[in-house]
Amino acid sequence: MKRIVIDPAKCDGCKNCALACMDSHRTDGGEGVVTLNFSLPETEARNEILNDGKGGYLPMFCRHCSVPGCANSCMSGALKKDPETGHVTYDEKRCGACFMCVMNCPYGIPKPSRDGTKILKCDFCNERPEGPACVAACPKQAIWVEEV
Amino acid sequence: MAEIYVIVGTGAAGMAAAEQIRLYKKDVTVVMMSIDEHSHSRCMLHKFLGGERTKEELSFVEPDFFEKNEICWGKGQKALGLDTAKKQIRMENGYQPYDKLLIATGSVFGIPPINNFRTASNVYGFRDLSDAQKIDEAVKKKDAKHVFIVGSGLVGLDVATGLMERGVKVTIAEMAPRVMPLQTDDTAAKAYQERFEAHGARFLLGIGASDSIVNDQNEITAVVLSTGETVECDFVICAAGVRPNIAWLEDSGIAMDRGITVDGHMRTSAPDVYAAGDVTGLSGVWPNAMDMGRVAASNMCGADVEYTDRYCMKNTSNFFGLQMLTIGDINAQVDGAEIYMKESRDCYKKAVVKDGVLKSILIQGDISHTGHWQYLIKNGINISDIIKKKSVFDITYGDFYGMDDMGEYQYNI
Repeated sequence: MKRIVIDPAKCDGCKNCALACMDSHRTDGGEGVVTLNFSLPETEARNEILNDGKGGYLPMFCRHCSVPGCANSCMSGALKKDPETGHVTYDEKRCGACFMCVMNCPYGIPKPSRDGTKILKCDFCNERPEGPACVAACPKQAIWVEEV
Repeated sequence: MAEIYVIVGTGAAGMAAAEQIRLYKKDVTVVMMSIDEHSHSRCMLHKFLGGERTKEELSFVEPDFFEKNEICWGKGQKALGLDTAKKQIRMENGYQPYDKLLIATGSVFGIPPINNFRTASNVYGFRDLSDAQKIDEAVKKKDAKHVFIVGSGLVGLDVATGLMERGVKVTIAEMAPRVMPLQTDDTAAKAYQERFEAHGARFLLGIGASDSIVNDQNEITAVVLSTGETVECDFVICAAGVRPNIAWLEDSGIAMDRGITVDGHMRTSAPDVYAAGDVTGLSGVWPNAMDMGRVAASNMCGADVEYTDRYCMKNTSNFFGLQMLTIGDINAQVDGAEIYMKESRDCYKKAVVKDGVLKSILIQGDISHTGHWQYLIKNGINISDIIKKKSVFDITYGDFYGMDDMGEYQYNI
């Protein structure tokens, strides 16, 4: 499967990945960070950069785990490990918004949407051919896609 | 002839097991049987009752699950008994033989011993789709205006929201002094109580039902409280606890306690018979049921897998837009524990730490990025050094950030 591999030592915390993620998942039809509406509640990144408190940064990106705690707790069938791509897919329409996945991911990756009706997690930018937007936007090559 | 793998029950444990068996074995016959005609997620029954979803939309698997996995599904088939010597299940219309058997019959609701409750014709549970359907019919037939609910746990509040969605007034009696007593403390309970009350619910806290009044059709028309007050109702719903569904196994000779006794491999005392999910009495939460199902299935297929991730005092809730996560017993009186609290306009947090180890946590409001709490609590991770430098509530996975060779996260402890 393809995974976004992380080298935290290269990350300088610029959060271009977060902006790219927001832009890639916008629903207003626009494209490009310049026209991104930050006041919309749905403008939210599915990734996060944590500060390690020692001058470094810790990129938090869904690992699409081999044993996904999120999908293994899903009571609606919305979260599934795709046997072909290996990615953990999310079907918003099926989701019951119980948030057991939020509790069951040991790394705290999936999170409720701001309106509390669904969750937000990495969808590998819908498997678009050019790869995830965050990877393309990283100026430090701290994240890249690798076949694992 | 192909070996026959039989799974009784199509809930979380049964379905996870079926999928797992197919991962291991393509050449065996897989038979599933369930009382219900529709495989459904019981955690979403309130959405059916409230009219938000159809019964088909309660399914947690694809519509072609049984065909795709080549599973022979006996819908509406009730298992009545088990003969472990002959290796067959007794059903209403015959016998189902097995080579390997998984019992995943879940649990059944209990009816408290209140006068008429066990004999009246309008006392319901809220456990299976058939229960939700009965309630749905009762609401329609009676044009129900008022329902009495016993128990304010997750199930009681779920059924309350489903009914309130339809304009039915609910009165909820809770023996404990607060709503959702297993998951809340007083502050968190009050926040939920206020939201329910704002939508018309009435709570009777610390008050039990002591008697009831029936009409000539054997229907309860009013519940008498321990205070002497009488509350009129169209029907009653019992949501005050469940117990493993093992009555059908009484003569089977299988070792049982509160539930079916299993070893670490989910094996019962009978050869080739396994059990998983609520029926074991080990846990009542969805992820654990699925885990048990997968472990049992793997072992049925000849693998050697142990059920180790047993922590089950965990839950999330989401009522009227207010979310909550609770891990551990937030109300336990732990000697020498430090209790941390943080309250803001829209978030309430409480953590109990003893000797540098987190014992329990409650977060109500924004529950984003809270998945690490379960890991820290169930593994008893020492956080004393971290909380010298920052608030316990500022702990994230970042404090344990590590990665394995495959690029998966791995706790660095």
